[in-house]
Amino acid sequence: MSAELHVMMPTTPSVEPDDRQLVQTIREGDADAFELLVRRKTSKVYALCYRIIGNGEDAKDIAQLVFIKLWENLEKYDASYAFDTWLYRMVTNVAIDFMRNRQSRENAVNSNLRLVKTAADAEQTVVVQRKEVEHVFNDISDVLSPKQKTIFVMNQMDDLPSAEIAKILGCRESTVRNHLFNARKLMQQQLQKRYPEYAQLWRER
Amino acid sequence: MISCEAFRTRFHASTEDPSLLDHLRACDRCLDFAVDVDPDVLFRSLGGAELVPPGGVDAFVSDVMRQVRVRDAETAAAARHRVISWPRRLAIAATIAAGLTGTLLTYRANAPTVAPQPIARIAHASAPVAAKALVTKPVVETYDSQNATIVEVPGESSDDVKVVMIFDENLPADL
Ligand SMILES: [Zn+2]
Repeated sequence: MSAELHVMMPTTPSVEPDDRQLVQTIREGDADAFELLVRRKTSKVYALCYRIIGNGEDAKDIAQLVFIKLWENLEKYDASYAFDTWLYRMVTNVAIDFMRNRQSRENAVNSNLRLVKTAADAEQTVVVQRKEVEHVFNDISDVLSPKQKTIFVMNQMDDLPSAEIAKILGCRESTVRNHLFNARKLMQQQLQKRYPEYAQLWRER
Repeated sequence: MISCEAFRTRFHASTEDPSLLDHLRACDRCLDFAVDVDPDVLFRSLGGAELVPPGGVDAFVSDVMRQVRVRDAETAAAARHRVISWPRRLAIAATIAAGLTGTLLTYRANAPTVAPQPIARIAHASAPVAAKALVTKPVVETYDSQNATIVEVPGESSDDVKVVMIFDENLPADL
């Protein structure tokens, strides 16, 4: 009998609240909802910070700072905009600030100390390995400005089109495309200097 | 995730197909193949994956929540410091009132008592006493504040000393 009743009971699937609903609940004073939001966005936010900053511990600190700023500024979020756009804007602001400070500290210290490979290396056959690509990217992307790097990362690694990046950064789409063009050019130059075998691979479009 | 075979069949330059990009970013075996077909995916291959912060997601989230609680506590403490609570305001006011009363009582106790005198002599001799009473200054001469509430305690006659209570959140506690 009870089994029969159980079958007849309408099952209401638990629906996860979307980002906007969560924000509304948080604004009503529910700290648990904020914890849920942090958990939901941690990987995305951390990954973006990591790609921009290139160092796990710093990326973790910056990602945490992003969430604290999120908590403090949640009242300012306008629900007519996509939550992720607003969140990404916060990530890029904090990460770019961090990069600018770090660059001014490290400027002119490391840039000329790295191993410059000889032109002969360019003839080597490259078997592309992810770890190596990551190392090369971290190495050569130092030459980019924080904004160029952020735009490059969002476009290439987060697959965001330039129109969406422009919304996040609050600038024109043509500005984003300019930054992308310049970033590619600078990285290609660095590859030719430091990793000629990869320069052959990653040709300028 | 699609199979390596499907990936290699379908992959082409400038693809935006999410299933192909997912495979590109997850499969080390197909990376070399993909870069050979489309060199532009060299750095694209790094993205996409949801990364886990050092220490794991749970530790990350608890850290954030702990910092949020600390900040909230600091903000609340700062707000409490700015706004003095009502019991404390009353305590300050009571202290001032007690101080004023005490001072005036002391003054009265020390004031020379004038013995009954014949009328003709009073007019003559009491003049200096009256003059002395007039020059006595109150403890608080003036009090100028936008926020203060000043309550005058009514006396029984016009000869009674005037006692006022000052309620002001800006009043220093050690006055
Ligand atoms: Zn594969």
